[in-house]
Amino acid sequence: MDSIKYCNEVLARVESLMYQELSGMAYWKCEFVGTDFIRSKNIEGKNVAEIAESCIKEMVAAGIVKDIKCSTGGDGMMLKLKVKGCMHHAKEVLVRAEGVNPYICPVANMILDQIHEKLKYETSYLAKLAIDEKTQTCLTYLALYETADKIGHVTDWLKGDEDLDFLHSQPSQILASEDRKAQK
Amino acid sequence: MTDTEFLEILKSRKSIRRYKPDPIPEEMIDKILEAARWAPTGENYQPWRFIVIRDQETRNKIGDLSRQGSGSRMTAWYCLNELQQRFEGISDPVKRAEVLEFMYSGRVSEFCKQAPVVIALIGDLRVGSVDVPYDLCAAMENMILQAHAMGLGSCWVYGPVASTRDAIRFKDILGIPQGMGYYKVLSYLAVGYPKEQRKHPRPKMPLEDMVYWEKFGNKERI
Repeated sequence: MDSIKYCNEVLARVESLMYQELSGMAYWKCEFVGTDFIRSKNIEGKNVAEIAESCIKEMVAAGIVKDIKCSTGGDGMMLKLKVKGCMHHAKEVLVRAEGVNPYICPVANMILDQIHEKLKYETSYLAKLAIDEKTQTCLTYLALYETADKIGHVTDWLKGDEDLDFLHSQPSQILASEDRKAQK
Repeated sequence: MTDTEFLEILKSRKSIRRYKPDPIPEEMIDKILEAARWAPTGENYQPWRFIVIRDQETRNKIGDLSRQGSGSRMTAWYCLNELQQRFEGISDPVKRAEVLEFMYSGRVSEFCKQAPVVIALIGDLRVGSVDVPYDLCAAMENMILQAHAMGLGSCWVYGPVASTRDAIRFKDILGIPQGMGYYKVLSYLAVGYPKEQRKHPRPKMPLEDMVYWEKFGNKERI
């Protein structure tokens, strides 16, 4: 039995059903999916980069991902992950086949969870998940708020971003924008 | 009351986010809750439970959580250049910038600090109903309409419980038992005498754009 295929099929069903029931709200409900694995590991680090690195090391060792490249921006409020060879990639393909833009990323959830657990960040948000089926690559943009007063501090996260075309080929999470314009 | 008068109550309702500090009489609160009690509920399970909050400190905590919930998402959307798309219709750049700042700062959801009454609406998931979220939404709508019919303003707020992590915090603030199988936190209702007169009516889609007859997509009345 291909247990990875089996797990991805189960996850894809749950993800599609959640979206059917909650619409876009489902994006905000699944932040704990995947965190049990990382909580079972001894993740250490004094800052976001070290925590992310420690998580990635465990995920690579377990075969969850082949490689993750991290970069930060937005005055330390944005963490970008470029994920290659994720074991959940087949799940994303199945979810898309149902007409749903994938929104559950266990890999991002794990890193965010440990930033909360170890660095006691106030809040966070998985702001963007972009998937390229051909290259089996995912992009995630994570918003990190160390303290509540960081909310509202805005910068251009995409300035000089080399993955702009990839990112813009994905649907926006603010799905209503086109409809709103049409109503005016 | 005629059916036309009833429809007028529905059509004149608007979400109010600015309130006078005047306290709400107990009888009015009771009527709002009574209206909720008569909402439709699957198999009459009545899973709704209400927490009426007037304590300023508690309202401040909920207001801060609301600000964080909305602000954390909208800050990210702005930084990804997506939030701006939602407000392209505002031609005045100064006004547009003000509105955007109001949104991404999270202040858009902070107003329960000023509302004299906040009613948290939660559902008991153990009472056997399969319709809890839908029952709760019906109860919420009844409360909104009753408040409006009495001249009060209200706003249905989801911000502080949108994410699972924030819903846990919300439960902590109000002492609601944790555990995914116990209570669902739907949202809260902020209530008070309106301090603002919002532009009304806001544009609504015409019926012909949303009604199909007999089969999906058929706009011809048969």
